[in-house]
Amino acid sequence: MKRPRIVVGIKWVPNTQAVRFDPKTGTLIREGVPSIVNPHDLDAIELALKTREKYGGEIIVVTMAPPGAEEGLRHVIGMGVDRAILVSDRVFAGSDTLATSYTLAKTIERIGRVDLVFFGQETIDSSTAHIPAQVASWLDLPYIYYVESIEKLELKENKVVVKRKLEDRYEWYEVELPVVIGVAMHSNPPRPISLTNKLRAVTEKPIEVWTNKQLGLDPRCIGLRGSPTIVSKVTWQPEIPRKRKIYQGNPKEAVKWLIKHLEEEKVLP
Amino acid sequence: MSKKKEVNCEELCPEWECTQPSEYSGIWVVGEIDETEETISEPSLQMLTPANYIASKLGVEVEGLLLGYDKELLEKAAHEMIYHGANRVRILTSNKLKPYIAEVYARIISQIVDKYKPEVVFFPATMKGRELAPYVANTLRAGITADCTQFDVDEKTGDVLMIRPPFAAILLAYIKTPTRRPQIGTARPNVFPKPPRDASRKGEILWEDEKEYKIPRPRTRLVRVEYMKREEIPIEKAEYIVSGGRGVGTLEGFKMLEELAELLGGVVAGSRKAVDLGLIPHDKQVGQTGKAVKAKLYIAVGISGAAQHVVGIRECRVVVAINKDPDAPIFKHADYGIVGDWREIVTELIKALRERTKKAS
Repeated sequence: MKRPRIVVGIKWVPNTQAVRFDPKTGTLIREGVPSIVNPHDLDAIELALKTREKYGGEIIVVTMAPPGAEEGLRHVIGMGVDRAILVSDRVFAGSDTLATSYTLAKTIERIGRVDLVFFGQETIDSSTAHIPAQVASWLDLPYIYYVESIEKLELKENKVVVKRKLEDRYEWYEVELPVVIGVAMHSNPPRPISLTNKLRAVTEKPIEVWTNKQLGLDPRCIGLRGSPTIVSKVTWQPEIPRKRKIYQGNPKEAVKWLIKHLEEEKVLP
Repeated sequence: MSKKKEVNCEELCPEWECTQPSEYSGIWVVGEIDETEETISEPSLQMLTPANYIASKLGVEVEGLLLGYDKELLEKAAHEMIYHGANRVRILTSNKLKPYIAEVYARIISQIVDKYKPEVVFFPATMKGRELAPYVANTLRAGITADCTQFDVDEKTGDVLMIRPPFAAILLAYIKTPTRRPQIGTARPNVFPKPPRDASRKGEILWEDEKEYKIPRPRTRLVRVEYMKREEIPIEKAEYIVSGGRGVGTLEGFKMLEELAELLGGVVAGSRKAVDLGLIPHDKQVGQTGKAVKAKLYIAVGISGAAQHVVGIRECRVVVAINKDPDAPIFKHADYGIVGDWREIVTELIKALRERTKKAS
């Protein structure tokens, strides 16, 4: 019987919650800020693991990142994925989402037969949600966002039924394979890391590193040159002027003070 | 404005069609139909605000684009776009566009954009817009910038500056696309106010002929829809919001916030921490990775006020913060702050509001 081959694309991101700001120099303090696997990608890994439990098959994780991301790949190997590919080369530096999605699409092509491609719906560092649609466009595949679950996978019929959640409704779609899926945020809380699996990362070495030697991509299509958008400058975010009136003391008096002001502002119902 | 240098086709990725920026002109807004409300969606109209601003700076016009299957509804939506500032609206209607399938819509939008070559295309970053825009951008090999909070024009080159807060939300990155057109940008709902409506405004409605476009065979089929019961207004539409963070800590704590919200006729929301702790669902998260809100009154309870959170409350009229830590950054982003135990303060606030209603009746 045919088993599904699932690719999950993940991103190694700075832990934005830990980023600090240096008011003296006006810069972000990124040193010492740990990087993590984008938390929303863990939902995608979890959905892949659930799918493999039900239908068998193989899970291949792909990330485009500097070598440090190996730590993140070991983390997801700890969750139980079969293979991990680190796409890493200086020539990919400076990629915007067009160049990134191109590189990822070419990586997926090189993997060979793939039935399902999962991504976390967005990343915590840039939260554009571009990559799933862009990868689908490069590979000429159907795509679908905000998916919570795989309802039915029929490899023989070449189709999958997925359920997704919009603001006010659930929708079920039947999609032809292969398909690119954006996995909804918070939809599949990740399982804990198993020590046995973690050891596999060391003993079996399932991490492969692919540079542009393997991929052979035209330098005009990758990195800075393959990126139509550029960051022309960075400035402070102007603050919204607020009154900043503070009351410290007895709660009852504080509330009286607050209500008086809110009445003056005419914002109470 | 100085004339742009010609793009050297030899230097371009061979996967991109070589076009010159000078071939493109005009600002487009891709409108979205709100199927439940049976009209144009609010976020689509909001995008006309930056579109009009950029158009006036560049001395060009604003055009709307609408796709769908209900002719009457689309025409009504087109008029709304005109009343809110579009100079004309292009409509493509076809039975093959029922129901909405992202890939099908995105491919047709790409063809229409490719035919008329606007220099800028804006999408509202609604759930559907976030799904459509990157596919359209990629099909055209165009640059795209998501979730902008401002747009401007680089006076020297005529490039549009897509301005967005990068990951810490304290800074603003100015992003431009010097050599590719169209320049595609999105903004989240409520980041821009809707332009004033003027029903006497006139504009052209242009009907596109579906035969001129390749409507792809859908590889995706909608098989079932189930509407969720919505007892509450979504947070992005609420006038009163009581928002809780890590400081509130428990589900039982959020019950108290609900009581307060109910008294105000509002809703409960929360910070990313509250979502991570499972205290509220993600669709009630305020901030960069959640929603931007535009409440008349926003009460932040036990929220420290990370930049990623406060970026979502910029459009609120009055912000109140309740926190036990006098140094919490939220106080810098609040009009009125109370330092103290949130339970005591919220209890008193509930009491005071009850008495206030009693007096009024």
